[in-house]
Amino acid sequence: MRIARFAARRLLQAVPVLLGVIVVTFVLVRVLPGDPIRTILGPNATEADAAAARARYGLDQPLWRQFLDYVGGLFSGDLGTSIQSGASVASEMAVRVGPTMELVVLAVVIATLLATVLGIWSARRAGRAGDHTLRVLALVGNSLPEFWLGLVLILLAYSVLGWVPAPSGRVDPDTDLTLITGADLLDAALTGNGPAFASAAGHLVLPVLTMVVVIVAPLLRSVRASALEVLGSEAYQAAAAHGLSERTLLRGYLTRAALVRLPALAALVFGFAIGSTVLVEYVFSWQGFGQWALRGLLYRDYPVVQASVVVIALCYTLIFLIADVVHAVLDPRVRI
Amino acid sequence: MADLTTAADAGPPRAAADRRFATTLIRAGSALLGLVAFAVLVGPLLVRWGPEEIDPAASLAPPGGAHPLGTDVNGMDILSRVLHAGRLDLGVAIASVALAVVLGTALGLLAGYRGGRVDDVLMRVLDVFQAFPAFILALAVAALLGGGAGNLVLVVALVNAPAYARLVRAEVRTVRELPFVEASRTAGASGLGTLWRHVLPNSLTPVRVIAPLNCGWAMLTLAGLSFLGLGVTVPAAEWGAMISLGTGDVVAGRWWTSVPPGLFLLVSVLGFSLLGEGLQERAGVVR
Repeated sequence: MRIARFAARRLLQAVPVLLGVIVVTFVLVRVLPGDPIRTILGPNATEADAAAARARYGLDQPLWRQFLDYVGGLFSGDLGTSIQSGASVASEMAVRVGPTMELVVLAVVIATLLATVLGIWSARRAGRAGDHTLRVLALVGNSLPEFWLGLVLILLAYSVLGWVPAPSGRVDPDTDLTLITGADLLDAALTGNGPAFASAAGHLVLPVLTMVVVIVAPLLRSVRASALEVLGSEAYQAAAAHGLSERTLLRGYLTRAALVRLPALAALVFGFAIGSTVLVEYVFSWQGFGQWALRGLLYRDYPVVQASVVVIALCYTLIFLIADVVHAVLDPRVRI
Repeated sequence: MADLTTAADAGPPRAAADRRFATTLIRAGSALLGLVAFAVLVGPLLVRWGPEEIDPAASLAPPGGAHPLGTDVNGMDILSRVLHAGRLDLGVAIASVALAVVLGTALGLLAGYRGGRVDDVLMRVLDVFQAFPAFILALAVAALLGGGAGNLVLVVALVNAPAYARLVRAEVRTVRELPFVEASRTAGASGLGTLWRHVLPNSLTPVRVIAPLNCGWAMLTLAGLSFLGLGVTVPAAEWGAMISLGTGDVVAGRWWTSVPPGLFLLVSVLGFSLLGEGLQERAGVVR
């Protein structure tokens, strides 16, 4: 019950921030230079053509009117019509979210597991060579530009060794995969399509590896720092002095306590991964949400920019909220 | 407690080892940065080709002969471009972080020292800016403002300033309650004088630790934006833009157009990371 009330309070705090995001995005795309209409009309269009096109997308209305229409649409689930493609923004986005979430979720989950195991390992050897080596390696990973790492991996694993499929697309089209969620690996598993599953997994290896290498360092640092705190605590030392087995110490005392700070950080890393995915998708021609939003930005496609920015802010805020709730579950002190 | 302490636990021996490790990190980071700085300051004076000079006889020439690191698709010398690009990348990164520190510190001082309504409004505005992943915000602002080195400094500074404002605000709220601040006010110093002389210098510790790490992030952001075509564009020499131009070559197995600029970028960012990590370790900051 307590937890539910805590979650509700956090949810209420997020509302003004999201309203702020909606207003700022709406105003910024219109105030800053760039005209979405000129990009679809071509060089020979007259002023009258432009005015007609503007009227078609409601851009001839006063700003307050456009804003009311936009917000009214948001509440009825209508994200508007893309100026570039003329298709519904919501349906375009639905196709793009799955592939990107597949990438981000896999990378964050693998990185978190890796960071937990390695962080505790590193803390128990604190100050020794293994610990130092691991920390420096994590820093190197964190300093790698993800778009370059992706290219180097393509160079080695595809161009030189030929171990993975060419970096274009997410699954071999010959496997006749039926799309359900848009996340190819999941869809292949749901439809029991073995060849598609193998192909999707093959396409995922390099982009996921790229992201894991880049995001694992901050998680690792956090787990290590928390684990060190536990190792130095009187409770742990007393437990160790009473001769509890290694296994009990590790499971009962170290792991849970060391993970307390991880949720908030995982949320932050999730956000970082969403940013990274724009670059990684570009390198691997992933055709996901990031590439779609980027195209929208480049062509000043107002409805696409507004929808993608607001959706990212919404996801980011929700992830932090979930992280806070998980933190509250792990650490009762937070709930007070 | 002392008799329970074992070699694996926290204690004086490890604290000494930690300090040594921190010093090693700081030295290694400084050395890498020194190396890169030397290469990009002196290197361009020694190369034969200009950064945007086209060798019509050589397009995509492999390394060797007249072009030690080969040429790109335009017939421009990779070595010369990589070295020249460093000046731009390092310059923009450092300038943007400096601007972010100044901007963020000013906001943080104002919010933390005045408190009340001013603080509330400023913090809510920062909330909106921090509702996005940093790179997404940079991407959106860069796409809307347009590219170019000057705009990039502004973009990266705007994206980073809120974090500094928060850091400084938190410090100021602690520092303003300390006895020496009260003493300064009782002694008749003006509000601004107290702020400048006593509060500001004592609120900058976390900023000094975070700034180097931030320089590394700024370099990655800058190169990332250019890679996507939103920052500096070819023919100007910039590491991200060079890597972008080499994207197609990689699938064909031509490594020399994109690997060298990436290596330079990696070494510079790693230098900042090592330096920042060492400073954090020494200051005992846990993030």
